[in-house]
Amino acid sequence: MRIFDPHIHMSSRTTNDYEAMYAAGVRALVEPAFWLGQPRTSVASFLDYFDSLLGWERFRAAQFGIRHHATIALNPKEANDPRCLPVLEELPRYLAKEGVVAVGEIGYDSMTPAEDHAFAAQLELARAHRLPALVHTPHREKLAGTRRTLDVVRESGIGAGAVLVDHLNETNIEIVKDAGAWMGFSIYPDTKMDETRMVALLQRYGTERVLVNSAADWGRSDPLKTRRTADAMLAAGFSADDVDQVFWRNPVEFYGQSGQLILDPLPGFEAAGFPDPAAGFEGNSVLRGARA
Amino acid sequence: MTARKALTDDQFRFALGYGTNGFADHPLPVALELLAEQGYTAVALTLGHPHLDPFADDLEERLDEVGALLARNGLRVVVETGTRFLLDARQKHRPALVDKHAGLRLEFLRRAVDIAAKLDAECVSFFSGILPEDATEQTGWQRLTTRVAELVEYAAARDVLLAIEPEPGMVVETVADALRLHGELGEPRALRLTVDIGHCVVVEPGGVDGALRLAGDLLANVQLDDMLPHTHEHLPFGDGVLDLPLALATLAELDYRGVAAVELPRHSWDAPGLAERSMAALRAAWTASAPARTAGAWLADSTTAVLADHASLPRIFATAPRSVGRAPRCPGTDPTGVLFGTVADDARARLIARLGRDLEPAVLTQLLRDLYHRGDSAERRGVLRGLGALAEASPRLDGTLVLTGLELTSDALRSNETSLVAAAVGPFAAAHLDQHAWRHAVLKLVFMGVSLAAATGLQVRADAELARMAADFAAERRAASRPIPEDLALLTRPANHPTSL
Repeated sequence: MRIFDPHIHMSSRTTNDYEAMYAAGVRALVEPAFWLGQPRTSVASFLDYFDSLLGWERFRAAQFGIRHHATIALNPKEANDPRCLPVLEELPRYLAKEGVVAVGEIGYDSMTPAEDHAFAAQLELARAHRLPALVHTPHREKLAGTRRTLDVVRESGIGAGAVLVDHLNETNIEIVKDAGAWMGFSIYPDTKMDETRMVALLQRYGTERVLVNSAADWGRSDPLKTRRTADAMLAAGFSADDVDQVFWRNPVEFYGQSGQLILDPLPGFEAAGFPDPAAGFEGNSVLRGARA
Repeated sequence: MTARKALTDDQFRFALGYGTNGFADHPLPVALELLAEQGYTAVALTLGHPHLDPFADDLEERLDEVGALLARNGLRVVVETGTRFLLDARQKHRPALVDKHAGLRLEFLRRAVDIAAKLDAECVSFFSGILPEDATEQTGWQRLTTRVAELVEYAAARDVLLAIEPEPGMVVETVADALRLHGELGEPRALRLTVDIGHCVVVEPGGVDGALRLAGDLLANVQLDDMLPHTHEHLPFGDGVLDLPLALATLAELDYRGVAAVELPRHSWDAPGLAERSMAALRAAWTASAPARTAGAWLADSTTAVLADHASLPRIFATAPRSVGRAPRCPGTDPTGVLFGTVADDARARLIARLGRDLEPAVLTQLLRDLYHRGDSAERRGVLRGLGALAEASPRLDGTLVLTGLELTSDALRSNETSLVAAAVGPFAAAHLDQHAWRHAVLKLVFMGVSLAAATGLQVRADAELARMAADFAAERRAASRPIPEDLALLTRPANHPTSL
């Protein structure tokens, strides 16, 4: 089984997770830029974070045979802090970079005027850079927030097909589906959405335009929820092809609109298997020879 | 006119030819017809035995015939003057332009210019000669400059281009030598260069691509053949180590539109077969050169764009892989691209080296600093490898540029990304990093499990202190019962290092 996790915050996770994810079938993922749990206080802090997403984290994922991509944005929560807002001016430079597959996470947290501004400005950036947008729906006031989100998307002129609305549940799936946007579901240990409810939603609404992610981060979460949901789908009678559509082809089609997905296997990895963590697997022709 | 086989879809702009000195067992009319049949559109015509005697009484009539043959077969022509025993039946290539008495050589070359004018040839190719025993280097060089100056004046008056060919073992041996001559003569318009791509394998420090780029706009004639390092023997393609696709891609990058002719003077016994196989090899190499040509076109376009607007550099630099690809540069020896980088690293590095020729050092320094600090890992590799390319191109880099280069190199060496560290121990580090930092960089490679092949200048800079550090590292690994990287032996072998600095 090949799995593409379309939303996971790997910089908060350990190498054990990477190893387990590879073993579970994860070969590609997207790490959206988001809040760190602790608020940032300056633009510089964002820039180091963006750099680490595109640099160190991509390198780290590659050590475990996983293709790492990122989305870049000012998240809605921090859009409310005037010290952070100027990061919007820095975004164009990042959106041109290799492996940046969308503008995100953007959207609403508390639905303030500052969030309105940042959301609209970043949808415009997505249009200008021909990137899709990853839109987060609020934890509180989810249904009202989703309605307003879809209104803003409509007004922005970005096609609904270039928008993934994430963290959906039973209450708001229908309006997102009707709007023509992509539907994202984050499967959590005990909040948001679980495997059983997800399978029920897939049975009712179908597999088209549906993406399932673990959204694993520094909170209580599980990077293998993708695999568990896929297994639950199979157990409920979905075919392997249905599973492949949800866990590979749908995210590939959505993020592929960026023209920036790089999915060929990492050179030298498949053959070498898991790297010797002390030696690293790259570039050491001498050691590789000795290990074999 | 003979029907031509179609070449590849995206046609090269230079004319593929074949040297008549490789057809010594065929009469000229037959040789030219065979070449046209194989798809050649040019010929390198060697004066003298057996095809065209430049001193013949009926030269005018013979030239009329040759002109008609060239027209009938649709061939462009360059005049070659490397006949071995034309002027002296006993001594090869004597008298030469560096000999004490060179009257006969000068007379011959003037006649070659007349012939070129008559045939409307693209140039007359000639060489300097081997320094005779009676002359010092200085004397030889003086003789050469005086005589070439005379010839250039003669050729210019007849609207003919002269193209000096660097030859292994001769006074003008490399493209750099030829450029020096060109410079000392005041850069005359009528003096250009011939480059034999096989020779590049033997004598050119920058390789075939470096040599062709160095010749640049002065390139007026190209000879094509394969060769092995250290042996000046013209070989059929595939029998030597020449990177033919790279050579053709470089010609395309330079937008070279002159004649490029196969030069196999010792293979007349198999001329028809070699003409056919050489054409097949050239076609295959042209197809194989597509990625390198894309990179060349990207480099040319990007250079123009950045020179016109410096602010375009970050975007051009970031998006390079979308144009040139992401494959490792040396997939055979380095499948992950960690040691020698990717084609995108190389393209970025070459862009920096190219900008280094036209931008003020202060401007370039500022741009590099920004590219590095605002770049992802791959862009940073591009900057580091660009610093390497700048260091290779010039032993004396601007002081500010060096300081910034050292700052960026140190930053990369603090990282734990193998490919960044590998890119930071290249030619720039070898030339400018202090000994302490350089030793630590090399040891870090071993520590990270990266082959020492990534490091430049190991033979020159490894010292006793590095050997001690390597030995201590080995002891530590032994104590932990962990395997000792084989590369460590390269550092601990005492024979290799001079005393510590």
